[in-house]
Amino acid sequence: MDSSTPASPTTGSTGTAAEPVSTRGQFQGPLLRVRGPIPDSMRWSATAAGVAAVVGLWALTSTVWATDGFAVPTIGATWRALVEMAESGELWTDFLASIRRVALGYSISVAIGILLGVLIGSIASVESFFEPQLGFGRYIPATALTPLFLIWLGIDEAPKIALIVVGTVFYNIMMTADVARSVPQELIKASYTLGASRLTVLRRVILPHSWPGIIDVARINLAAAWLMLVVAELLAAQDGLAFRIIRAQRFRRVDRMFALLLVLGVLGIVSDMALRALRNRSARWAVDR
Amino acid sequence: MTATSSERPSVIVRNVIKDYRTGRTSVRALDDVDLDVAPGELVCIVGASGCGKSTLLNIVGGLETATSGRVEVGGDQIVGPGPDRGMVFQAYSLFPWRSVADNIGFGLELAKVGRHERQERIDVLLGIMGLTEYRDRLPRELSGGMRQRVAIARALAPEPDVLLLDEPFGALDAQTKRHLQDFLRTVWLRTRATIAMVTHDVAEAVYLAQRIYVMTPHPGRVAEVIEVPFGPNRGPAVRRDPRFSDLVDEIEDLLLPVTTKEDS
Repeated sequence: MDSSTPASPTTGSTGTAAEPVSTRGQFQGPLLRVRGPIPDSMRWSATAAGVAAVVGLWALTSTVWATDGFAVPTIGATWRALVEMAESGELWTDFLASIRRVALGYSISVAIGILLGVLIGSIASVESFFEPQLGFGRYIPATALTPLFLIWLGIDEAPKIALIVVGTVFYNIMMTADVARSVPQELIKASYTLGASRLTVLRRVILPHSWPGIIDVARINLAAAWLMLVVAELLAAQDGLAFRIIRAQRFRRVDRMFALLLVLGVLGIVSDMALRALRNRSARWAVDR
Repeated sequence: MTATSSERPSVIVRNVIKDYRTGRTSVRALDDVDLDVAPGELVCIVGASGCGKSTLLNIVGGLETATSGRVEVGGDQIVGPGPDRGMVFQAYSLFPWRSVADNIGFGLELAKVGRHERQERIDVLLGIMGLTEYRDRLPRELSGGMRQRVAIARALAPEPDVLLLDEPFGALDAQTKRHLQDFLRTVWLRTRATIAMVTHDVAEAVYLAQRIYVMTPHPGRVAEVIEVPFGPNRGPAVRRDPRFSDLVDEIEDLLLPVTTKEDS
């Protein structure tokens, strides 16, 4: 059992049914419980405390601990910068430009990831065929390809989309392959003995079984898509959230930088929640109870 | 049983050898194995793990190929899996995103059976399996025993020539297992399906089978084929028949590893 501490000597040895004087075992409160559920109220409080800690630290560094040369904008200043950019309309232009790039580039990446990942995870010869490409390609930092993309594809949208695709597609392919590999062998065997062809097994057994896992893969790698977007916009762009951050640097507008970073962070949270909702709606059978 | 034997196909396995090659070494999983299942017969294959009993079943199911030998069902050589040989596995073989009814109907969908007829056949099977009120449930909402009933119903739906069961009750608790054994007997008596079932539970084999193939490992061979002296209509009371426990003991002795036999 859990009694790792030596038992304390028993005091009352009379053997009566009186209230026990001593205790055994280490009492475990719920707050720091390892691998166990905690009350909802405690969960929400902990989350709220987490937010408060960050906001508090921000407030302190921007006011009480503020020093010259290490500029941290106050919460108020950041909010005003956000409103200013929103009112001038440039926030929306940048917001839409960035979202368009990520949506387009990442959709292509996920589509390739599903197609190749499912095939690689299901068919050994396809896996062997793509093994060298994947092994090689995934260790070339996508950002190192930016100059090439700029030469090949110009400085418009194409190189930015390409960078997002290349920077995420290897992870999407390999993680999707792992998901496809985890389809139980029995399920595939049973399908064959029910008359399924190999194409049917791929489309109607492996793909649906992998679907919730594929959405989780897309959720995880979405962060890399935003990373690639920032790199792309830093190099050559006339709009976009990351481009605007660089712009703000030129004028030492840390308030704007903070506002734009906040927008990026919130976008990440929202897109993650959207994908999670999609997962739970399209694959109810896989929702944790 | 003899009335239908001329119309229904039987399973014939002759001199089957199966080698697994890993690198330069080769392991013989099946060594010169013969197996016959007559139409409407229920045959069990027992043996310790590693005796190749599941490999043998997979070869009949077309999921694995024999290195050499003859495998025929109804006079046709087996080259791959097909809906004429339904299979049931120990676990994890239901489609978790499909309801009970849709799991059972999967083979019928693939066979392009129309919606109306499909529903009728699903309903009949749900009735036989005692699953009617669970038709819209997902597999994860079912107990282990119910899942296996769904798996059996799904394998029966395309009306296969042979039903191949690979330790179908191996993961169930003792009570559920007994319940499903009786259930399988009922299904067999009603449908007169031709069944080959792999199990490591000797009592289960003696309770269910008309004939038992006893296999020994390294390499996998058929040590003996035993006729079970009880009729097809036997009930749970047969377990108290002294011949029942004698037969179980006799087969279990055959399954003991050679080293243990020498020690005793």
